[in-house]
Amino acid sequence: MSASAERARQVLVVEDDPHLSAGVRENLRAEGYEVSAASDGEQALQWLHEHECALIVLDVMLPGIDGFGVCRALREQGNNTPVLFLTARGDPADRVRGLEAGGDDYLAKPFHLQEFLLRVRAILRRWDWYRNASATAATAVLRFGGNEVDFRAFRARSWNGETQELTEKEAMILKVLAEHLGEIVSREDLLERVWGYDVFPSTRTVDNFILRLRKRFEQDPANPQHFLTVWGVGYRFLIEAQP
Amino acid sequence: MKSARVFQLTALALVVVSAVQVGWWLFDQRAYTLDKVSAANAAYAAQTAAAQALLDSGTAAARVQQLLPQIVVDGGHATLAPAVEQALRTEEHRRNNQYAWEGGFFLLALGVCIAVIARALRAEARVLEEQDSFLALVSHQFKTPLASLQLSLETMALRAPAPAAARTLIERMLADLSRMEAMVTQILESVRLDRGRVDLRAEALELRSAVGRVVTQLEERARAEGIAITNTIESGLYVLSDPLALDVVVRNVLENALSAVARAGGGDIGLSARAGVGEVELSVQDSGVGFEPAAGARLFEKFSRLGAAAPTGDGSGHYGTGLGLYIVRRLMQLAHGRVAAHSDGAGKGASFVLAWPAAQEPKS
Repeated sequence: MSASAERARQVLVVEDDPHLSAGVRENLRAEGYEVSAASDGEQALQWLHEHECALIVLDVMLPGIDGFGVCRALREQGNNTPVLFLTARGDPADRVRGLEAGGDDYLAKPFHLQEFLLRVRAILRRWDWYRNASATAATAVLRFGGNEVDFRAFRARSWNGETQELTEKEAMILKVLAEHLGEIVSREDLLERVWGYDVFPSTRTVDNFILRLRKRFEQDPANPQHFLTVWGVGYRFLIEAQP
Repeated sequence: MKSARVFQLTALALVVVSAVQVGWWLFDQRAYTLDKVSAANAAYAAQTAAAQALLDSGTAAARVQQLLPQIVVDGGHATLAPAVEQALRTEEHRRNNQYAWEGGFFLLALGVCIAVIARALRAEARVLEEQDSFLALVSHQFKTPLASLQLSLETMALRAPAPAAARTLIERMLADLSRMEAMVTQILESVRLDRGRVDLRAEALELRSAVGRVVTQLEERARAEGIAITNTIESGLYVLSDPLALDVVVRNVLENALSAVARAGGGDIGLSARAGVGEVELSVQDSGVGFEPAAGARLFEKFSRLGAAAPTGDGSGHYGTGLGLYIVRRLMQLAHGRVAAHSDGAGKGASFVLAWPAAQEPKS
């Protein structure tokens, strides 16, 4: 098996409760994943400094650095490995906090095993799609309006020459829009492709990400030429500026 | 609870309105007095002017004084009698004094009422906040073993594991259940301690044998986890405590130390004691995972994360509930003793000092 294929099946479980950690690991192994474990945030960051994996299952309430802190630290280091948060606190405000920290999904304890496994598969499927869709030289780079986006490096050079570090969600949204050039993509479709339906409390999140993309890539974000709103439906992406 | 709060808020509103009313009454009475004094001064001025007019028109001074008794005629000039002027000032002063004392007293009484009710409301809000926070913490503490239990059960249902794997899962579930049971017991115990519903005796107890009994019960677990417990407490040190409370306190501290050392992969726990001024100190030192020095005080709070020690292995570990050290502190307070924890930092072990009032050796 190649290194990248191995990495695609490697999951890191960060959980300080040994029973829960063992249960999660055993089930992931039974599904065919390679599993490693860490019992606190520092151990997890150390492991991730030396290894790569396809997914991190991350408990929020960890001794020392908590799960949100670990996720934020990873994102600041430019590590875009997807994160599935596990936490005893499942109210909407905490979910949003987790996703704002750079998480991909959020599961409240106690959870159903099947749901957990489905979510793991869904996250990995989204990332498989993203990697495959950015695999060739032609699909790895997107050029529009003087901007150049490198999907593999999560980096872009905008029309004014500035270097932009993209979050994985921004890159994924851009990828979905680029795959549907000139077509209307609904907010719900974007949510499903990038996050999975039930993760965020509202589709307004998508609007916020589009605003961020406009700020990065539009010369006049108030009058967008590439990221166009189709009122009441969603968005349309154009390579050429609208006349 | 809600109706009591409505009653308190209504009472507070009524008292505040009453205080404002008394303030207004004071102001109004003062204005009324000034009005009356001013009217009296005007009336006396008119009388003086009339007396002067009569004198100027040739009326005899005696006749003028007969007609206007408050007026004094001296050398053809009419003036207000000093006694009348003085009486007016005295009356004004008396009324002002009366209003100031009466109003001041009522305002003070109402102010005290406002302070008492506001204090009661604040105390109640604090209790409600503590209850909310306690419930949130309790539910949070339960969710992890519950999640583990659910995961084990669903694993058995989904995967039909081999007998050995099934046994591991069953052991894990039993451990999760006993962990939840321990949490329920400790929560009830902490509530009883908080509400003072414990009746503790004060007996002279020989520390070495009292601690030794607990050590004996925990030795098997210590051996299984690669931990050596060394007890160097000298004989003849007596403390004043309830026997059961001392047992609970020593057991909780030792279990905490065992978990900390187990997490560090094994090590030592040392027990020693010394007589201080009016007290006997028990020191429990471990080579466990330790904690940041600043976190020492937080260890004894309810559901302290540092206190919630995790087990070391799959399926057979011993969990902390986050209440053990809280109960230790409460029991030590009730025994008029003290407890403190210290560590030089994470990974550097920890020491716990428990001090009880010293007792004389019982004569029997």
